[in-house]
Amino acid sequence: MAFRQRTSTRTARTGRPEGAPQSRVLACRALRSLAVGLALALAAQPSHAAEAGESKASAASEPVPPPEPDRRLALGAAFVPGVAVHGSGHYVLGQRRTASWLFLTEAVGAGLVVGGVTTLFASGNSRNLAAFGEGAIVLGAALVVGSFGADVYGVAATDQPAVQARSRATPWYESELGYRYVADPHFAYAHFLVERVTLRGGHLRFEPSAWFDAGQHNVRYRLEGAYRFIGPLPHETAKYEEHLELVLGAMHQRYLPEQFRRSGGEVALAARFDFGRFGDTLRGSFMELGAGYAVAQIRYDLDGIRVPSLRDDVLLATVGLGVTLRGEARPGSEVRVYYDHRHDDYAGGFLLPGRISGVFGKFGADFRWFFGGHAGVRVQVEGSSAVVAGASLLFRDTLPSAMVSPP
Amino acid sequence: MRARAWFGLTLGLLAAACLRAAEDRTRHDLDVGHAHSAALSVDVGGGLAAVRALTDQRVRLWLSAPSIEVTLTTQRALDLTFAVENAMPALVLTRLDTAVSVPPVSGEDATKKEWALALPVGSTRVRLAAPEAATNGPFRFALLSDVQEAIDRVQDIFTLVNAEPGLSFLLGAGDLTDEGEHDELERFQTELASLHVPYYTTLGNHELGSEAVPAYQDWFGRCNFQFVHRGVYFTFLDTASATIDEAAYAWLDTWLARGQGSVHVALMHIPPFDPVGTRNAAFASRGEAATLVGKLARAGVDLALYGHIHSYYSFENGGIPSFISGGGGAHPERADDIGRHFMVFEIDPDRGVVSSRVVRVDRRDEDD
Repeated sequence: MAFRQRTSTRTARTGRPEGAPQSRVLACRALRSLAVGLALALAAQPSHAAEAGESKASAASEPVPPPEPDRRLALGAAFVPGVAVHGSGHYVLGQRRTASWLFLTEAVGAGLVVGGVTTLFASGNSRNLAAFGEGAIVLGAALVVGSFGADVYGVAATDQPAVQARSRATPWYESELGYRYVADPHFAYAHFLVERVTLRGGHLRFEPSAWFDAGQHNVRYRLEGAYRFIGPLPHETAKYEEHLELVLGAMHQRYLPEQFRRSGGEVALAARFDFGRFGDTLRGSFMELGAGYAVAQIRYDLDGIRVPSLRDDVLLATVGLGVTLRGEARPGSEVRVYYDHRHDDYAGGFLLPGRISGVFGKFGADFRWFFGGHAGVRVQVEGSSAVVAGASLLFRDTLPSAMVSPP
Repeated sequence: MRARAWFGLTLGLLAAACLRAAEDRTRHDLDVGHAHSAALSVDVGGGLAAVRALTDQRVRLWLSAPSIEVTLTTQRALDLTFAVENAMPALVLTRLDTAVSVPPVSGEDATKKEWALALPVGSTRVRLAAPEAATNGPFRFALLSDVQEAIDRVQDIFTLVNAEPGLSFLLGAGDLTDEGEHDELERFQTELASLHVPYYTTLGNHELGSEAVPAYQDWFGRCNFQFVHRGVYFTFLDTASATIDEAAYAWLDTWLARGQGSVHVALMHIPPFDPVGTRNAAFASRGEAATLVGKLARAGVDLALYGHIHSYYSFENGGIPSFISGGGGAHPERADDIGRHFMVFEIDPDRGVVSSRVVRVDRRDEDD
């Protein structure tokens, strides 16, 4: 009923005079959304109790999507003026609270970008402030891009209730076996066998993984442990697709022809935020954010030459935007595009012909499709100083108590 | 459909990337120092000079090294004015066919020389070198990088460089200009006229314009090159794109092998590793960075010099004494207590790097 009620309310509120030019109406809406967006956002504090009630109502009934002409208008508004004023699509759609949150997200993101750039410029990329400035820029850009993407998604998608009805159980076990091709002109390696196992017990996650080059030029072992502060545990299901984890990692990588080893550790906070918290139209879309620090030691094994080891610090900052897949895809299926600022992976920093080459990290896309309760496939592509692409088979198991769909 | 759209977007983004960002520049390095007019062709050994002007009557070179050899090939006898800029003050031109030194007709400027050559039909090889260049012995050089928008104040620095006794040349680790445009590069060369010693440099990321082959190579010559002076090897590498091109790595292997057992200085703009790793003013790939440092360490490189970071850092990379000196005046790193500066090194082909010193421009005290 929630969708039906909101739609009719919007139609009544819109009250467009008959015969008024559509562009003029759009422009008016854009101006109004600009003027009141921030105020609305500040005023529209989400009420969890109200949200829960709305969600129950949504899940229990078959929502009626807005008429197609309005949806097309909203989709257009999501781009113009939505590319500048995020949430415009939802504003036109009548989802004003969601629109306000998206606009607020954009504003916070833009503020972080401006703050980060100002910090870097004013400090001359100072050794003491550069990491904070870069982190703010990455996070801010993610919020700006994320709020735009969420606005487009929310007005374009019509099957959000299908997401709501799905189980969001966290598997206690997941394994991955796959192949990755790495195209890097600087290294002889190319074909990797990739293995990973993820085990969850209570709040803890334990995740060993390894990459083996078929030509025995390179091997990397990684061990990751995490504590989940927020988010569903293996025996639980959840209303939202989100979590907050403290991640500790250790890594050892051998470059055999190049005669060095890289070993290190890292600590990071990793979070997933469900955009559904901003409104039901955004159900099935999410944003990921991560920030941390890694340190590594590089040891050389040069023939007969003693070379002191190197210490290398890395800023960790990751952002991702994703969509939960539905239809034929089983729960857990999703597609995600992401940016990872780290420069020490197989895909390092982003190379460009111009003067800012190497500044950005890697961009990637991750596609996970479960075709059964236990089995699925993963396709992953990353690009930067190297292109990494490949596919894996996934196997998972979920505790029976967590298989029930959320109310 | 949505999944495919997301993937399409990502693949489009990936297509914008390039795995060999410096490929075109490296390829164009091979063309530097080679040019021809209607009746005359000029070939500079190792590409160690940019041909700035060429007619059948006159050739003008911008030198990238203290000593070069040039082959002049003509189809008819020519009277040629042979002019060079960015030359060692004591530069001597020797015709290798006759082993006779030719006196300059003009040499009023310390780093500009001009000779009149009568060329017979066929090839004539000439060598340009300062008398001391071929003999081993200690000498001093300076390092100045990252001038960029501070070009209006660069004469302050050149005045102090000129005041340094016994310098053989000034080295640059890139970012001479802000945008790398022709007018900026010309301005930089005009400013260099007041310098009493030549300026040998590679390019920085600020010399990369919108073109795949930057104007820099027209004005200053090769991005990757090596020369030897008084028994010391100097290798310049193009890291302006936060990587080194594969073709340049092949050259580097040869150059490192040549310099094995000798004192060897490597110079590039973007350092493989930033001493402040979280800032990442360094190579795009830490794996490539570690590989490069391993190559330099294995070859026994004695000194690594970098720019890019607008401050001063002294550290070790794989046991190699390394310096970042970006003190040319470009937007400085704040609160580093350094400001504009350049460095002076004393080097001995038998003993290695004898000393290094920072010369502050705006605060006239010096640090050893």
